Amino acid sequence: MSGFTPTGPPDPRHDMSEYFRLERWEIPPADGGEGFSEFAGRVPLDDHHRGAGGGVRTGALLTNLDSVGGFLAGLSVLPRWIVTTSLMVTVTRLDHRGPLRVHGRVLRRGRNSVVAAMEVVDEGRDDGLVAGSLGTFAVLDPGDMNVEFERPAVVAMPPPTDDLPPPEEFFRIEPGTGTTTRLDLAEHLRNPWGILHGGAAAMLADVAACRAAAAGPSALVGSGSSPMAEQLAAADTVLHYLRPGRVGPVEARCRVLGGPPGRTLVRVAVHDLGSADRLVALGSVVVLSVSG
Amino acid sequence: MAVGGYPPPGHFLGDLGFTTEVLSDTAAVARTRVTPFVSGADGGARAGVLATLVDVVGGLLGVRILRPDWMATADLTLQLVRPAVGPVVEARAELVRRGRTTMVIEALVVEVDELGAELLGPDGASAPVAWSTLTFAVLPGGNRAMAEPLPVDLPAKMEIDGPGLDRPLPEMLGMTVEDAAAGRVSLPVHPYLHNSIQAVQGGAMALLGEVAAAEALGSAVGRTGASMVVTDLQVAYLTLGRVGPIVTRTTVLDTGGSPHPGGARRSGTGSAVVELVDSGAEDRLTTVVNARGMVAADFTAARPTATGAVDLAR
Repeated sequence: MSGFTPTGPPDPRHDMSEYFRLERWEIPPADGGEGFSEFAGRVPLDDHHRGAGGGVRTGALLTNLDSVGGFLAGLSVLPRWIVTTSLMVTVTRLDHRGPLRVHGRVLRRGRNSVVAAMEVVDEGRDDGLVAGSLGTFAVLDPGDMNVEFERPAVVAMPPPTDDLPPPEEFFRIEPGTGTTTRLDLAEHLRNPWGILHGGAAAMLADVAACRAAAAGPSALVGSGSSPMAEQLAAADTVLHYLRPGRVGPVEARCRVLGGPPGRTLVRVAVHDLGSADRLVALGSVVVLSVSG
Repeated sequence: MAVGGYPPPGHFLGDLGFTTEVLSDTAAVARTRVTPFVSGADGGARAGVLATLVDVVGGLLGVRILRPDWMATADLTLQLVRPAVGPVVEARAELVRRGRTTMVIEALVVEVDELGAELLGPDGASAPVAWSTLTFAVLPGGNRAMAEPLPVDLPAKMEIDGPGLDRPLPEMLGMTVEDAAAGRVSLPVHPYLHNSIQAVQGGAMALLGEVAAAEALGSAVGRTGASMVVTDLQVAYLTLGRVGPIVTRTTVLDTGGSPHPGGARRSGTGSAVVELVDSGAEDRLTTVVNARGMVAADFTAARPTATGAVDLAR
């Protein structure tokens, strides 16, 4: 599908996808056969998205996996819709050339949930694999949400925009160091359900884990001086979305658990301070040193 | 001791041997001994064994929280921080969320001594060897397949024991490596490894995925599977494995042997996706395991990190 170019207007409901310029397209079953559509997406590698590894940051990758997986899972349960309940990603490369292409398929559609597998390849590296992912989505009544789509569903790539901020700024992540990192729950960080977007929680986890690994005694330290957060990159990530984040600010609290040299596991708990500090997401991030 | 007749005598959970204790309405612990028969190349308990431990303690907690409903494991993640050499490992599980259709549990695995005291890190603080999460799907109406009804008062403490293992657990379960390079491993389905609804127990499936990943990753770097350590498991349980044999199909995503991407030091880790299909049920896909592994010598360099106690769900 690498030669496919979707056409049509950008989806105005999805600020997140516009920021990453994510294009998406449905792949119906071959020959009109039975089964679920597969789904694909493509993101260009704009400079302001590059992380310490040289390519798209893992938080950004998860944001796009959430968008592609959500669309894929949602189409499989129409006229109902979905909300993401977990994302797990195994990252094999951080030095992408781009664009990155995501391909997703439904592994299981149950009455209450959908499980999907997604893989990400780097078109700039001859479709070399950069990540594999599993996502779980809970099935819900969409209420007032518009879930009507022309089929096969297509969302074109938004055009490039000048002066887009880096992810920390776009995601309203406060500057800081240490094991706690905070995000201001701005309107554009809400998903179509009106709650904290899964991608925003993922980016917060990415940034928070790197800051925590830089701050604490960790396996990353030992070959020299302590690395700065900017010399660290998030890689393999597990995120469980437990409850909606409705109010904000949202705070990620990290515990550095350790690991072999060059590789540190960080537990991340995301709380909604405005909702009685309730736990809205829980996961782990593997932080790698990219200090050369 | 068994709950509702599970596990029955002559079951691998009994041979592994567990002690469990419910601490509150939302917390429980389970322990098992680290022996050569459950250990990998790093000298610590295999990831699949720890996944079984976590599944047991999560299930124990889930039974109490959900009854009269029942549950099935929907997904499991487990990440090793360093070799879990024991002598005993303890999984500390806590409820994170109980919803209408799912329940999420988090578990930290620590090492304890023969008396049950935690072996602390160099700064005297808790130093987990692994972190894990479990998602259970809620099955309304209870488990009609149980051999006996659940007692009204579930015991707070239990010992699940049996004669013990007399050879490595994968061998006891009947796993056969059919093609190491392809990560093709076969597992017959028999009562020794059943769960409470007569399908393959979730920990055994995780172990099968671990063995297949180790074989494929080892072959990819010119080593044996026995020299590899699988450190990370992300397991999605899709359907029950009932008929068997359960056979794995493995795709190596990366070997970690190439020059480091992005300048990051990756400790030579590689990763693989393992699909577990029920060959006796028209090759139905039952489980998907994303796994990461490395050469054991690299993993044994891991050490605890002094960060203080970890409060679950905080």
